[in-house]
Amino acid sequence: MANVQELIQGWGYKKQADIVTPNVVAGIWRHTNLNTKPWAKVPVNEDDRAEIGKGHEFPTQLFKSHYNMPTFEISKYASSEFLAWLMSFSLGNVVLTGTGPYTYTIVPALGATNPTGLELPYFSYVQQIRPGGSAILDEILVGCALKGWKLSIKNSPGRASAMCSAECVATGQYTTPSGITLPAATVPHEFNAGMITALTFNGVNYLTGGSGKQFVSMDASWENNFRPGFFPGSGIQDGYQIQGRFEWGDRTFAVQFVVRVQAGSTEYTNLINQTTGSATLTLTRDASNSFSMVIQKMGFNVVELSNTDGIVTMQITGVQLYDATNGLVTVTVVTPQNNICQ
Amino acid sequence: MADVAYMRSPHTGEIRQVEVTPEALSPLMSQGWTQVPAPAEQKPATPVEEEH
Repeated sequence: MANVQELIQGWGYKKQADIVTPNVVAGIWRHTNLNTKPWAKVPVNEDDRAEIGKGHEFPTQLFKSHYNMPTFEISKYASSEFLAWLMSFSLGNVVLTGTGPYTYTIVPALGATNPTGLELPYFSYVQQIRPGGSAILDEILVGCALKGWKLSIKNSPGRASAMCSAECVATGQYTTPSGITLPAATVPHEFNAGMITALTFNGVNYLTGGSGKQFVSMDASWENNFRPGFFPGSGIQDGYQIQGRFEWGDRTFAVQFVVRVQAGSTEYTNLINQTTGSATLTLTRDASNSFSMVIQKMGFNVVELSNTDGIVTMQITGVQLYDATNGLVTVTVVTPQNNICQ
Repeated sequence: MADVAYMRSPHTGEIRQVEVTPEALSPLMSQGWTQVPAPAEQKPATPVEEEH
């Protein structure tokens, strides 16, 4: 018996050499997680109930089928370290520069030019409860990938005003005991909404000037829509088939935000006129910790009049357009952590 | 002096030194250019024979 508070987790901040080669301990960091559940492994059995010739319709035998690994959420307060990891592993094309702090410039990889085709970098995930001779849980999941993420900014105090989460997938390959001694937990450099230093959507600056008090909240998300990774030769674990690749499908990038309505609000006009413009969200903690997301070309799909806590608001659904010159989105993260996704 | 990155074209193999700003990197990265090590860090294409 163990309290879930004993669960400790770490994962590769460096990428694996390939999908089946786990991270070594030097490339793994340890973090806390707001998700209170461990990552479950779900081996699936099948039976012979559909087979004719037994004399009845009932199953008589079990067969090993496959590992049906559920997605797993890593939920964190936004920090420079975690955002650099999240964006790098989910988008795929990463440029790392600097000698400390380090600057990561990240854009979505293109299938036509990505060195690994439609596959993103892989990482290992370690979860442990009382690792050692009498461990309750000690395993390393190999070949994990980022299916998507969510980033939310809202009007509230403290760390909860800037949060993000990663949705992870795994092939089913694992090793137990992990053989990993997790390092001390990383102390992330976290952001909150008070640290926003740029907040412009489609020509409206919501940080200063006439629209400086309009902004209420923003939710952005990325989805890689991975294709199923079972194929001939994809591999086995404990006699169960596992996935051997995660290839992105039709990726989606969603942004919604809520602003207060005021005289002269231009959001509805921008929708009607199909006006497009860039969108920039920047959080700056200090010279060594910042995050900036530039959506190169945003239009509005829906502008809906609403009410947020008694204040008249508009909920705006953006359409993120692929700009012929600058692409879809560029993320820049400055952080003290080196070698993320390297 | 601004940081620079060395970027390689996915089509021609051309390597270009680029200032690390979103404005300079975005057009290249969105066309599939990827980072490569600085020229001094790159290993020679063929092994160099030692002199005896």
